[in-house]
Amino acid sequence: MLRRIFSLASGRIALVILAVIALLAIFGPLLAPHDPLATSTDLLAGPSGSHWLGTDNLGRDVFSRLLAGSRISVLGSLEVAAMALVVGAIPGIVSVYLGRAFEWLSLRLADTLVALPFLLFAVAVTALLGNGITQAMLVTGVLVSPMFYRVARAATMSVARSQYVEAALISGASLGWIVRRHVWVKVLPPIAVAFAQTIGVGFIVVSSLTFLGIGVQPPAPTWGGLLASDLGFLSYQPWAPFAPALLIMLTVWACNLLADAMRDVSGEAGRALINARKVRANQVAAGGSQ
Amino acid sequence: MILEVSDLDVHYGQRRRKRRALAGASLSVAPGEIVGLIGETGSGKSTLARAVLGLVRPSAGRIVVDGEDVTGYRTGQWRSLRRRGVIQYVFQDPLRSLDPELSIEDSLSEPLVVGGMSRAEAAKRVRTYLARVRLEEELLGRLPGELSGGQRQRVAVARALVTEPKLVILDEPVSALDSANRVQILEIVKELRATGVAFVFISHDLGSVAGIADRIAVLYQGELVETGPAREVVTEPSHAYTRLLVSSAPTLSTASAGRAEREALRALLNA
Amino acid sequence: MTSLAESPTVTSVADPVFAVRDVRVSNQVDGREIVRGVSFDLTPGKVVGIVGESGSGKTLTCRAVLGILPEHFTVSGGSVHIAGHDVSALSPAQWTALRGSTISAVFQDPASYLNPSIPVGSQIAEVVRVKTGVRRRQARRRTLDLLAAVHLRDPELVYTQYTFELSGGMLQRILIAAAIAADPQVLIADEATTALDVTVQAEILDLLADLRERTGLALVVVSHDLAVVAQLCDEVLVMRDGEVVEQGPTTQVLYRPRHSYTRLLITEHEQYGLDRYLDRTEAQS
Repeated sequence: MLRRIFSLASGRIALVILAVIALLAIFGPLLAPHDPLATSTDLLAGPSGSHWLGTDNLGRDVFSRLLAGSRISVLGSLEVAAMALVVGAIPGIVSVYLGRAFEWLSLRLADTLVALPFLLFAVAVTALLGNGITQAMLVTGVLVSPMFYRVARAATMSVARSQYVEAALISGASLGWIVRRHVWVKVLPPIAVAFAQTIGVGFIVVSSLTFLGIGVQPPAPTWGGLLASDLGFLSYQPWAPFAPALLIMLTVWACNLLADAMRDVSGEAGRALINARKVRANQVAAGGSQ
Repeated sequence: MILEVSDLDVHYGQRRRKRRALAGASLSVAPGEIVGLIGETGSGKSTLARAVLGLVRPSAGRIVVDGEDVTGYRTGQWRSLRRRGVIQYVFQDPLRSLDPELSIEDSLSEPLVVGGMSRAEAAKRVRTYLARVRLEEELLGRLPGELSGGQRQRVAVARALVTEPKLVILDEPVSALDSANRVQILEIVKELRATGVAFVFISHDLGSVAGIADRIAVLYQGELVETGPAREVVTEPSHAYTRLLVSSAPTLSTASAGRAEREALRALLNA
Repeated sequence: MTSLAESPTVTSVADPVFAVRDVRVSNQVDGREIVRGVSFDLTPGKVVGIVGESGSGKTLTCRAVLGILPEHFTVSGGSVHIAGHDVSALSPAQWTALRGSTISAVFQDPASYLNPSIPVGSQIAEVVRVKTGVRRRQARRRTLDLLAAVHLRDPELVYTQYTFELSGGMLQRILIAAAIAADPQVLIADEATTALDVTVQAEILDLLADLRERTGLALVVVSHDLAVVAQLCDEVLVMRDGEVVEQGPTTQVLYRPRHSYTRLLITEHEQYGLDRYLDRTEAQS
């Protein structure tokens, strides 16, 4: 799968961007040239040799804050996606097997979650459980989980009705065996696509929540928080929001690109794509030889 | 007898929408016997097979498998019976009945591993039966999609044989195959019959079963309308539906029964 | 009783309505030639059968002569003349005009060719209106006639039914009705009876024989089963791996096969088929 994604230009771009973002998340806080929390008297300064992206309203180094904030931002969106995966995909798979009552209940629950406005819900829950990035992310994860639920359920249903599952049943296989042996591998690719997409969504959510001041306690830096504070001083530094906004956009775009690439290379669509390329290659070769 | 089905009734649906799929079907299969079960869409042939495999619950009648009355078996009892591998089933379309993401070796050893056999022993058994269906060992690492249709069906047959069953139910096993592969599968079946394995050969086409079955049973609208030795059923069919089947089966003989006879039989059956 | 000797032998007199000369089909993905030279002639009322297993190139041959090859496949050689026109010179619009009115086809899975959310009657009526340019009411009347012509018992009822209410055999009849709506001269039946029960298959084959007798329709019957083809055809082509390995009048192919593959097809029927219990006599005087 990974090799096939890499054969697509869009897949390569997405993976490279995401690799850079991942490196930022791991080493960013260590690379920061200044202490991201240290204030100075140099308020709202423009870019310079010591402050590459200038300073903010409290005189903190923006570049350092971006680097330091990358870890929380990335971790936060991963938390959202992981939570959604666990809360959505597993019930989605077992809803096909655990009988009508569970199926009905889980379906209605998924519908309910879809209907809830997530920002409002996140605000309410953080008010209840305390304002922390983890609480906020877990709540968001639960709220986007219906997508995983539906994707996993649809994929499982097509496998569950297949003859090879019936063949395994006739051989005396248990439910656990069937899920481990036959269902899991087939459900994984669509879930992976959903996962990549959700990481993108997670970024937007983390950014918008921290933009609203939910989830992250100041002065801890995040990309969304940076964007929010930069917007407050737009008249002094009109260019400042570009850096955090660009990072957020780039990451979300890369995640969606990866999701698209994954969808393109798996299944029927993947085969059609590869065939079309071969024809083109043959025609080019034929044209060259004439 | 390896299989004894007596007065089997199967209903689908509930209460007012209840529909009878099988009515009073009785069939027995002796070791080393090939029984052709003929019926068209909706005749109940698949229902009969599914009842014998414990996939649908009969509403009346009795099913005895290898001396064991399985009629009222619960899920757990069925599972332990299946794990002994006494009855096996071969689906019509091997491409769909083999997991596309599992190697041939994994697919073949599945019934053995599920039944509790060690991987090493299962690997040995798999190789024995692979040779029995005339396939090379190097296919074991491949995926079903990388095999030809004939090879796939032989894998499906081998999969049914690895547990050394006493009865194999084959559902239209050759209708998706070309001539050469069809003949090969039928020859394998004949060889195995000689070792005492019994077969139920399900098909909608009397012609495709006539040459290999010892006995033929004809299902029509949920009822067994005719059962007898193959030659008798083909040459002297007693029921009008069997006569229509014989007359409809394509044959190479250009002097076969014609349109007028079929027309008359259809009118008779619809009356 | 349609023994071959009695079938109309117009071959020598009439001009062919359909002439296929050395048609070749290539796959552009790997540049391989999948069909290597198929030739036959059809005169009104004549039936040609093509026998071969899946992958033998018989379906691609049909699609090539209908101008509906799948993506990445092209006709790489030979010629096809339909009612005197060389089809290689046709524009897509001319092809569309030709299909249905001169040459028509039915395929294996009838349900997939009909829209499940529209009653089948209006779908055929649409074909009638597009192909013959008549008004709605006339199209409806013509459709009912067509449904009766394919021996559907209650045309008025079938007209209003949806695909899910009809059996595979009935759907295939409906598609045949749509295919002959504009009185084509040639009908290609590509594995049209394969997915059907034997008794239904016999009904469809009887219907095709009936249409041919009544209207002089020329047929191309494609099947993997030599016996199906033998029931209906005057001439048989046996295809294997894209090549025609044997071609000739049906009786000759059945009783004096030259190629070992044809002999294998016959042996299979004699050993395992119904033929084992029947006397195989050459029904010729």
